[in-house]
Amino acid sequence: MTKRFSTSRLLSFLTYGVTTSMGLLLLIYPFLFPAITQKSTLGQARLIEMPLLLTLLLALCLVVLLYEVQGQAVDTKLIALLGILVAINSALRFMEVAIPGPAGFSPIFFLIILTGYIFGGRFGFLLGVLTIFVSAIVTGGVGPWLPSQMFAAGWVGISAQLCRPLVNILDGDGKISEIIVLAIFGAIWGLGYGVIMNLWTWPFIAGPTDQYWQAGISWVETLQRYGAYYLITSLAWDFIRATGNFLLILLLGAPTLIALRRFKRRFTFTYRSSNSQQSKLDQTGDAS
Amino acid sequence: MIHTWAWIGWLISGLVALSITRNPVYLFLILLCIASVVWTQERHLSSESSQTQNLLPFSPFKFALVIITLSALFNAFISHFGETVLFSLPEWLPYLGGPITLEALTFGAINGLVLSGIFGAFTVLNLALPIRSLIRLIPRAYYPLAVITSIAITFIPNATRQFQHIREAQAIRGHRVHGLRGWLPLIMPLLVGGLERALGLAEAMTARGFASSEGSNQTSRTRLGMVFGLLILLGGWLLRLIEGWQFLGIGLMILGITLIAAILWSIGRSVPRTNYNREAWRFPDFLVLIGSMVVITAYLLPIPWIDQSTLYYNPYPILSLPGFDPLMGAATMGLLIPLFIIKLK
Repeated sequence: MTKRFSTSRLLSFLTYGVTTSMGLLLLIYPFLFPAITQKSTLGQARLIEMPLLLTLLLALCLVVLLYEVQGQAVDTKLIALLGILVAINSALRFMEVAIPGPAGFSPIFFLIILTGYIFGGRFGFLLGVLTIFVSAIVTGGVGPWLPSQMFAAGWVGISAQLCRPLVNILDGDGKISEIIVLAIFGAIWGLGYGVIMNLWTWPFIAGPTDQYWQAGISWVETLQRYGAYYLITSLAWDFIRATGNFLLILLLGAPTLIALRRFKRRFTFTYRSSNSQQSKLDQTGDAS
Repeated sequence: MIHTWAWIGWLISGLVALSITRNPVYLFLILLCIASVVWTQERHLSSESSQTQNLLPFSPFKFALVIITLSALFNAFISHFGETVLFSLPEWLPYLGGPITLEALTFGAINGLVLSGIFGAFTVLNLALPIRSLIRLIPRAYYPLAVITSIAITFIPNATRQFQHIREAQAIRGHRVHGLRGWLPLIMPLLVGGLERALGLAEAMTARGFASSEGSNQTSRTRLGMVFGLLILLGGWLLRLIEGWQFLGIGLMILGITLIAAILWSIGRSVPRTNYNREAWRFPDFLVLIGSMVVITAYLLPIPWIDQSTLYYNPYPILSLPGFDPLMGAATMGLLIPLFIIKLK
């Protein structure tokens, strides 16, 4: 049993590691491979096909990661809980599409972060991925950008667990310091989400190949160029999202955490069939 | 009306064409085909449902106009390559200073055309396929996720309605939304009510025997196989970036994708799925697929009587007229077949 458990843990670790590394590698591709693409005479062709190829590869990463993560979701309680929370979050996104907020403001990250923090990284990942997927189906937002959005939203949810050690150090469970940590985390992801989504389009929109992937251009210079692009096109937009996340968690975080904790306790009971109770009684009888 | 897989074939052919060519003439043709299908599909849906409301959150035509304009302007101001100088900005302006060229403007507009085309092709899919068809596309191996998606889609109207009820109830009590804090009395009942409903739903599902005996369909072998497939895919992709290794790279990528698909298929076989409304494959679907195959063949395969060199176009360093092969243009018209089928219906 222990061996099986440890193999399972190892496989989980391997899957998370490979898919996350590959997803990151695909997104930061322009920074890592300038020299290779420059030496290739197919540079222009790479530039043209790259967005769709990236979409395909990211989608496959997501397919593998989702297969791993869904192993947790065979429990009816989790399926029902996820279904309803995805519906609520998608309804919030639907309202956001119908009544756009200021710039990049989006109410969906609030719930993804808090549930990821309370129910665990896997749950947060699934909530992030499925919120984007379901709301895209409902609002007609299915497109090549979807895998990147799903991946990024999933990362928001799965990484919410990173707040836990910091909250523990601050001894902040149920205190204002916990809310502040989560609010800052939300603000960071407000910017991070924009950075990731830009990485998907940047090499495509930016311009001619020789402008971005010149022979001899260092990754530092590529980073500088991306920084300039980001500053000009996205920072203000993403700053509003970051501020929105920060304020939403700061103002609504405490009661939401209380409600989620209460329901977590209510969701962690297990059903036992009468057969298993009977066999337990039999075992007790045998032992005596 | 048209089979889901015929639409998927149409979408793939559109994406292949859009990703291969940079010739603005062909791009215009592709965009024209896609826009015509979007327009016809929108008209068909609005006449079918007798509604005048917008079927999409925003117009794809306005979106295309904005994207093409912004992309052209952005590239013109950021990229200073090209020989036809329209005007110059002072050099002291960081990143913007320098000559603004017609070539950079054209390059940006071409990028905008490609993006608009991709968006348009997916808009057609969103318009044409009902939600149940999209859910049905989720592979059987992902049945827990498909169940979650179905629950979520079923509950979205409920959640929206509940939000309206809560807002009305709070308004009767004198509550007005002032700032973000004003959302608290609206969001909390929605969340708590939803969680209560989830508990009830879970009990109902358990009472009906859902997932009572079966565990996860994951085994160590399938999990390892998936990761292995992904690693082969990654290796292939990296090899493909190195000149001289492209064919081996493509081979490995195909192997990786095949391995992942085969594992998913084998897992899916053990998951029973009942279709109450099975889609029938009819002659018009066959026509859509043939049209899509014509487009893919013309753009991808080396056909001696089609001049594929006209697909490539670069406005740098000086703007020139793009080439045009009438046969390639005619093949692109394969994207229009869904329009005739919708019209005939």
